[in-house]
Amino acid sequence: MNVSKLPVSCPSCSGPLMVSQLSCPECHTTVSGTYPLPALLRLTPEEQNFILQFFMASGSLKQMAAQMGNSYPTVRNRLDDIIEKVKLLYTDEL
Amino acid sequence: MKIVFNPFIKYTEKQLLPLAIIITIAGCFIAHYCNTRYDGILDLHFGNNVSKLAPFKDNGINILVLFFLLYTAGKYINGKTRAVDIFVTVVTARLPLYVLPVININNQMQEISLKVIDSNSQHAEISTLETLFIITTTIIIILFVIWYIVVLYNGFKVSANAKGIKHNILFIIAIILAEAASKITIAAIN
Repeated sequence: MNVSKLPVSCPSCSGPLMVSQLSCPECHTTVSGTYPLPALLRLTPEEQNFILQFFMASGSLKQMAAQMGNSYPTVRNRLDDIIEKVKLLYTDEL
Repeated sequence: MKIVFNPFIKYTEKQLLPLAIIITIAGCFIAHYCNTRYDGILDLHFGNNVSKLAPFKDNGINILVLFFLLYTAGKYINGKTRAVDIFVTVVTARLPLYVLPVININNQMQEISLKVIDSNSQHAEISTLETLFIITTTIIIILFVIWYIVVLYNGFKVSANAKGIKHNILFIIAIILAEAASKITIAAIN
């Protein structure tokens, strides 16, 4: 099934997008407002997938490295880069 | 190309280290038979009657000095830098250097070099073939040394997650210090 990707940045100015409307598919109730996207959702799909794999591997980078066919420092560097990005996103939120 | 210039992204220390150590030992024997000395981390010189032990001492010192300085730089950049990754980087990066002694097989490079040194510019007795040999081997040596530095740099980047100008400068300083320290140590031992 082709899952639509959640856009996280504005295609026009590249600024972070906000949620302005939520709706219930059952009763069609809609809630409007301006809600920022959580930091984790503002990561790229690849980064989100990496975090999911890290979680599924119980945080074992060695296991992840073996699964991904990469060396341990390559996987650790990727995680460190994502951590830095998430820290920046959290700082932006505050 | 990634395997040739940056095997550290894909291959683990368990895959790289045994192979690198075997080739290093083989390289020391080749250096002995081809009368080659590695008298500095960036040096390779052809000589006479190089003992069996000399290339082992040279490479041992070069590897240890380079490891110590790059590990210090790596730890400064990123506290998570592992000693094993830097060690694998150093041992693997030096592999291209172990092929170069073949240039001096039967002492031919050393003999031509001595001829060049002995002859003055007006009475040079260097044949066209010898000149061509010197030019070709010089180009090959330069290319292999560049290959060595590129692999070393890529391995350091992966090991310490180094990026940016500041980290590159630290890498260059570590290399310069390692060259000086290794040259002094090898000269002191001999």
